[in-house]
Amino acid sequence: MRTSHSSQSLICWVIKMIYEGDFLKDAISNLLARGYKVFAPVKLGDFHLFREVKSAEEADFGYILPRNSAKIAVFPENEVLIKYSSWIDEIPFEETRIAIVGIKACDARAIKLLDKHFLEGFVDPYYKSRREKLLTVAITCEEPGINCFCQSFGINPRKPEADVVVSRIGGKTFVNAYSDAGKDFLSEFNLRNEGEEEARLRQNFERETLEMRKIEIDVEKLKKSFESSYWKEVAVNCKSCGVCTYLCPTCFCFDIYDEGEKKGVRIRAWDSCQFPLHTLESSSHNPRAEKWQRLRNRFYDKFYYALRKGDYYCVGCGRCIDFCPAGIDIVSVISGVR
Amino acid sequence: MNEVEKIREELKKSGAERIVAFVKKENEPREVLAVLSQKDIDKVTFSPLSVNNPAKLLMQLNGKVAVVAKGCDAMAIRQLIKEGKLKRENLFIVGISCRGVIDYRKLSKIEKLSEIREVRLEGEEVVLKMRNGEKRIPFAEVIEENCLYCEHPTPVIYDVLIGEAREGRKDFSDLEKLEKMSREERWEYWISQFERCIRCHACRSVCPLCYCEECIVDPSNLAISPMSTAEDKASYPRLLGKTVNAKDNAIYHIIRVLHHAGRCSGCGECERACPMELPLRKLERKLEKVVKEVFGYDLNEDIPFFSKLDMLGD
Repeated sequence: MRTSHSSQSLICWVIKMIYEGDFLKDAISNLLARGYKVFAPVKLGDFHLFREVKSAEEADFGYILPRNSAKIAVFPENEVLIKYSSWIDEIPFEETRIAIVGIKACDARAIKLLDKHFLEGFVDPYYKSRREKLLTVAITCEEPGINCFCQSFGINPRKPEADVVVSRIGGKTFVNAYSDAGKDFLSEFNLRNEGEEEARLRQNFERETLEMRKIEIDVEKLKKSFESSYWKEVAVNCKSCGVCTYLCPTCFCFDIYDEGEKKGVRIRAWDSCQFPLHTLESSSHNPRAEKWQRLRNRFYDKFYYALRKGDYYCVGCGRCIDFCPAGIDIVSVISGVR
Repeated sequence: MNEVEKIREELKKSGAERIVAFVKKENEPREVLAVLSQKDIDKVTFSPLSVNNPAKLLMQLNGKVAVVAKGCDAMAIRQLIKEGKLKRENLFIVGISCRGVIDYRKLSKIEKLSEIREVRLEGEEVVLKMRNGEKRIPFAEVIEENCLYCEHPTPVIYDVLIGEAREGRKDFSDLEKLEKMSREERWEYWISQFERCIRCHACRSVCPLCYCEECIVDPSNLAISPMSTAEDKASYPRLLGKTVNAKDNAIYHIIRVLHHAGRCSGCGECERACPMELPLRKLERKLEKVVKEVFGYDLNEDIPFFSKLDMLGD
């Protein structure tokens, strides 16, 4: 595997503690009291959504994955870039500290991938203003979802790359810090050191490999298959909607436009490469006018073009498989390239 | 011969070069739609998890096509024929008298999907063939809510029918709860729903009747052409911004639904596709009721609703 983040963040000191009580909820209360903007999963009917919460009671942690990804905390669906009238009135930057509570390993890795896109080379000041104030409190996965395949990317669902990691093992709440920010945060809580037996329990939990799907990526084959009729076959039932890209934790495409003529706001909003208008040029030429070209683009973006940044842009969360209305399956598609 | 064998046999007999039917999805118990040729006929299958509507797929195929269609699918196909989007003579419709489909999301709450190998209906029960052994659950527990109010479970158009014809329901009791609300309560209810919308446009993209190449809600330059001046381009008509907020989202959904007056086939693809679980069918159902009760239009009429409105206007 190409990715090597996981071990880097574990260096130096790590504190491993046990918390008596509901750590996740207490963490939210603590963060809110200290003025953080907190994003956490909220239960709506039968499913969970990451949302900004105003109290710990709103959050619920009984899920495999929330339906949307945690990227909304650093890359919101829409944001104001500039307020203008006759000239620029204001450039709003995020001032508040932000926390995501309840993020899982896949979404946590995705934020590292978004960092590469938004912070390496050209630095996106809006993303940066959120990212540098971000604290992540992750939970480990007990079991995988039907379409999970994060382990294919060297992600350990039992060891998320976050500031603080919470594991619920055998009725006990293990709380570990993996960064300075995480350590500082944990100093706010009454924790006790884990005992020898408990340490063994945690280590076994972390080492266990989960039974999940595996994606076979053959970059050489991808390189040669760009003109293959395979993509037309794969896309025959594609509806060209934005579900896959909007639920994807690593998709980062956006559009910028102005709302208001004499006085108004310049807005950045999510956009999807699956929409025909995404690539419509003002000459009226569209380089990806056909849906199969757009679908192919999504797969090449994630598994070939993205390699310029050093990584595949997929974390194996499986949301695009679960919610594709046409049943297009990224694992089958990439594993079956010809 | 069981249902699946009958379907395969009829598809074979049709002699059509291309077949639009359900095949098993890799790694999951549900089926997905595929475009197949005669040599793939053994891949064809059907179960209460064959939920999708094939009508939209038909519009991109030329020549003779054989298609497997449930009641609501046939409604959509007939509507598209009415609107000149499909040609009846190009289609061989294997109609399925439908008992309703399973709500996959409901099923996933009851059973671990990765344990289920196969699903079939037996009387009032769903039989789940599991990795280990078999389980039975009442169909009523997992049936899609939309199917409970289906008016046309038997296809209204077909070349061959599989199963016995069934009666549908004609009432709108599913709307009672919403209709009883005060205007303010109803507004609050809908805003709280629309607030979740992420505008992925899946509801529009899967809808067999949303076939416009340019949609009025797209924040695009509808008037763009190589001849457009810079000024034209700068002042294009934009009904909605790309921002996601409850009121813009409400406008998107209301505009979309209004364009389905007297057309919606009731398949429920919009609701199934919605990753945010918006109750979109309720909007369509209300419209259906108004079209029926206020305008006296019946979906079975040969003349499209909008054309009839024009005639009434004269």
